[in-house]
Amino acid sequence: MNENSVNYYGKMPDPLVGSREQKTPPTPRAAAARERYFGTRSSASMEFPYWYTRRWEELEGEIPVIRRAEALKAGFEHLTPTIYPGELLAMGKASYLRGSFPMPWLSEAFFMAAEDKFYQEALVSGKLTADTFTTMGTGGGNVTQSIGKVISIAGKFGLRVEEMPVMIEVAKRWKDKSVDDVGHRYEQKVPGYKEKEAIMRSVICMFDSGYTLPQGREVVNYYYPLQYGIEGIKAICGDAIAEVAGKPGMDRLYFYQAVKIMLEGVQAWIRSYAKEASLLAGLEKDAQQKQEYEAMSERLHWISSHPPRNFHDALQILWTFHIAVLNEDAISGLSPGRVGQVLLPWWQRDMKSGLLDRDKSIELLECMRMKFTEIDCFASMGVVGGVLSGNTFNNLCLGGLTKEGTSATNELEMLILEAGIRCDTPQPTLSILYDEKLPEEFLLKGVECTKIGTGYPAWVSNQVAMEFLLKNYGHEGMTLEEARAWSIGGCLETSPGSWMPLEFDGEIHWIPGGSAPATSVGVHFISLPKILEVALFDGMDMRTGERIFPPHGLELNSYEELWKVFRDYFSRAVHVLTLTNNIQHDAWRKIAPSLVNSMLKPDCLAVGKDIGQMGSRYNTTFNVETTGTANLVNSLASLKLNIYDEKNFSLEDYRKAILANFGYHTAKETGSFSLIDQTPNQDYDTWKKIHKLSNEAPKYGNDNTYVDGILREWETWFCDMTHDYLSIYDQPLYACQISVSTHGPMGAVTLASADGRLCGTTFSDASMSAYPGTDRNGPYALFNSATCWDHSESQNSQLNIKIHPSAVKGREGSRKFLELIRAYLRKGGFHVQFNVVDSRMLKEAQKEPGKYRGLMVRVAGFTQYWVELGKQIQDEVISRTEYEEI
Amino acid sequence: MDSAELTGTLFDIQGFSVHDGPGCRTLIFFKGCPLSCHWCSNPEGKNPFPEPLYRQQKCTFDMLCMDACGHKAISLEKENLTIDREVCNSCKTFDCTSACCTGALQKGGYTITTGELHRLIERDRQYWGSRGGITLTGGEPFFQPEFAAAILKRCHDAYVHTAAETCGDIPVSWLQPSLPYLDWLFFDLKQMDPARHKEWTGHTNQQILANARWLASRFESRMVYRMTVVPGYNDYPEHTRQLASFLLSTGRKEINLLPLHHLGREKYALTGHSYYTEVLTTPAMDSLQGMKEILEAEGISCYLGSETPF
Repeated sequence: MNENSVNYYGKMPDPLVGSREQKTPPTPRAAAARERYFGTRSSASMEFPYWYTRRWEELEGEIPVIRRAEALKAGFEHLTPTIYPGELLAMGKASYLRGSFPMPWLSEAFFMAAEDKFYQEALVSGKLTADTFTTMGTGGGNVTQSIGKVISIAGKFGLRVEEMPVMIEVAKRWKDKSVDDVGHRYEQKVPGYKEKEAIMRSVICMFDSGYTLPQGREVVNYYYPLQYGIEGIKAICGDAIAEVAGKPGMDRLYFYQAVKIMLEGVQAWIRSYAKEASLLAGLEKDAQQKQEYEAMSERLHWISSHPPRNFHDALQILWTFHIAVLNEDAISGLSPGRVGQVLLPWWQRDMKSGLLDRDKSIELLECMRMKFTEIDCFASMGVVGGVLSGNTFNNLCLGGLTKEGTSATNELEMLILEAGIRCDTPQPTLSILYDEKLPEEFLLKGVECTKIGTGYPAWVSNQVAMEFLLKNYGHEGMTLEEARAWSIGGCLETSPGSWMPLEFDGEIHWIPGGSAPATSVGVHFISLPKILEVALFDGMDMRTGERIFPPHGLELNSYEELWKVFRDYFSRAVHVLTLTNNIQHDAWRKIAPSLVNSMLKPDCLAVGKDIGQMGSRYNTTFNVETTGTANLVNSLASLKLNIYDEKNFSLEDYRKAILANFGYHTAKETGSFSLIDQTPNQDYDTWKKIHKLSNEAPKYGNDNTYVDGILREWETWFCDMTHDYLSIYDQPLYACQISVSTHGPMGAVTLASADGRLCGTTFSDASMSAYPGTDRNGPYALFNSATCWDHSESQNSQLNIKIHPSAVKGREGSRKFLELIRAYLRKGGFHVQFNVVDSRMLKEAQKEPGKYRGLMVRVAGFTQYWVELGKQIQDEVISRTEYEEI
Repeated sequence: MDSAELTGTLFDIQGFSVHDGPGCRTLIFFKGCPLSCHWCSNPEGKNPFPEPLYRQQKCTFDMLCMDACGHKAISLEKENLTIDREVCNSCKTFDCTSACCTGALQKGGYTITTGELHRLIERDRQYWGSRGGITLTGGEPFFQPEFAAAILKRCHDAYVHTAAETCGDIPVSWLQPSLPYLDWLFFDLKQMDPARHKEWTGHTNQQILANARWLASRFESRMVYRMTVVPGYNDYPEHTRQLASFLLSTGRKEINLLPLHHLGREKYALTGHSYYTEVLTTPAMDSLQGMKEILEAEGISCYLGSETPF
């Protein structure tokens, strides 16, 4: 397909491969940290879960939230501190550099060895089907196979063999008690539960949400520790306890008490790092390093009680609380938000006083980048590889508007961009909240960053996001002013924020921060092409031969009938998944209520309720996620044209052609998941005519009204129907349209589709990206197709474009690149993101991952080192259309 | 279709083009060109008619195309499809490409009305940004003089910035109707020596140089010369000096030197042409710099490759 399309600029020959723009290297300090990171593999340890579980068991019968707080405290207290030479910011999630740990209280089955009986049980209920169709990248820091005394668990993490018995034992203690198990017991009470299991087994839906990654895709709020310090927050809790004790609404008492206990654990954790730094200082011979350890120890001691005195303190507090949240739950997509606006007061003061200069600031920001890059998320392979591609989505946002509605960007954000250019590591990924009011210099700096080939920043529309928020959070009291405080939470989720009054040097600075719990909870990733496939086969999954939905029994004599059956099946899936996931989330909030994140999120501390009790200011965060939009829309267009409008062949012929994979070998047989590498088999001649007509049917991304009309009809219906379902917080759901990496594994279990896509091949990524090779009319036509519907009806939409460096070369190229980005966002697009790379580089990277250890690409809205991506995604990136121009 | 509308033949329309005039532009590739430059990167732009493009790697030799062709223009000889392209020039139906299932045979080029083309331009216009516009290129845009003038007028009336790139080897009367509606002109030069010009392009440069002089004195907007630098053909100092004195004699003192590239190589086989340029190397950066120095010493502004100030 891709080969067929005539590219009028031909293919780029080797000598002319454009190099990416030159860039300044990171500071030696960050460079050393980066080398250290490259040499480190994802490592799990059992300290935290062991002590958590031990304390939990000791306190049987205690008030649940107190029991949880004590368990967390015990976990924090027992984390072994590790400090590396040259670090300016201390602390990590666990004792290893890329450390993380299983959280068996959420789910204990998935990290058991495959032969374990727990795992087998999980397999039967369909929960692990997605894992078996996901591959992790083999390069990078993934421990995909056991090495020596390190055992590979969940396909990614290394666990030392002596900790294995601890893991098994701790896991067993949570059997029947974890969120997963308890939720599972009760979700079976939902009428139609069997259908849910069938849905999961067919991978129509990729994951449950209640116990996999129950928090995340949200923005942290650092206001309280920055304003009051830990002792200050404990004092707030103390006062509140005295006020509410013995009065109605007694749950508040336990909440405040629990926060206090949890904070004591965090304090102990910080202080053990302070002690370690002090110890290292005593042993250190090098005068500068010794002084740095001493300063670190002093700083950690200070912040274990007090609010920050300077920018460096403030950055350390921000980092410490960021990972404190990550340690209380399995979380991906915990965004630091608008860091450059939150930390501005300290930075300005330090710059004025001479404590900081530009270079020192960049060095610190690079150290911050390394810290965020070192974050690992422990979850099952299906979640980590299939959804996240190993990415943790700590999205740092820039730009946007102030509380008063003026441009919110500042000088510190220019330095954050500069640090992102110099130290091009995957985290924190950057997003620019694009608004017409932002200054040109800042936007061009963002373009400069995009051109380095980092894949970040993502460009998102401030206005579209605000419209979305006002529509969906208006009933919770969101004002226009408050809508301006938003950020991206996770990879691309529009997430509500609030302005908090930071008192600083006698003035009030209104700083933005998150004020809602996890988004992207609810119904996770519904495979649209798979639903259409099941609709064509009367409710059956022909891959497995299993019935998923009751037969519709219709002849499908008209397009309208087909469209209706599709909607019915889709609605059935959303219905049963909403109810079952609600039960899981209820189990989560009862068994593992959030304390660290709740303490941080306004207005939990003010009202004395955790986020599971709607303590946050905004609570309408549940959504319905989809994958494969372009393949669905293209398939519907092909069916409509070939079966109903032009009657080129019958539906029965189509069914046969799909089952025969249009006469091609399957992706599994060819070993590539990319359409361009598929080869015909002996039956090719039988099906080639149907395949041709399928390929030639109108395709999304070409400004074709026939197929774009189908897209608009789908979007309008989908965005609206989600509001009919309610979360456990009694709030309506909304649409969320990012595929992350699910288009790989979900494509792998889907037969050929009516758009000509072959069996097992990857779906189009994102929601607004065209299917690779089918957008033949350039970016402007694609933009027109993408904006044929109102993006503010959905939490997000996503458009990824790979662009060749030659198209955006030089200073003039930067200006034109900005024109392109701006044009799409002005037209109403929500998000656009660019890979400035060339295919050859990527092909070579796939062959020799070692040589391209530092190459970063953008896949489905996030940044990741190439070699850590799964093969399906690598293939897909290679075949994506490039706009090559010389 | 409006009865007053004209029809033209194009082989591509390409948005977000950034090297052919100010800002982000939409390029409109006209089919048909009087010259046959050996290094042409758009060989499918030469033939003025829609034509079959044949990609052998994709062909399964099932001969569905042969059976479909009513003109018997396709035959199979030794595992290779032979197409009588003379016959195809008068074909209106292209049943062969409709019959092909593998994508080996595709139709290159299509006809479009001024109305439809204008609609696409207005669509793209939303995305150009603060500058930008259209550039007619090809092929040779003024090989279809009425259509070119009609679309330029339509765009000019709608305040669209218009540019064109011409090889100049056409009667001046074909250019004239477009000039009032044109904001920018790239005028291509190849070689100052008439005999060498003919050797590598099929025609002498007589008409081209005369047209350049004529346009330089009459065209009211910006006119920038362009030359593809072909090593060993037009990159030596003596030629550069001849080029400089010609430019000075016309009074237009801007030239954009474009390095030869091989990006079009794969397209030659599609159109049944053989690729001459295989033996040619791409020019070295210092050779381009040397040319630039000679030209600038004469007071000529010289831009290299995509490094243009527009």
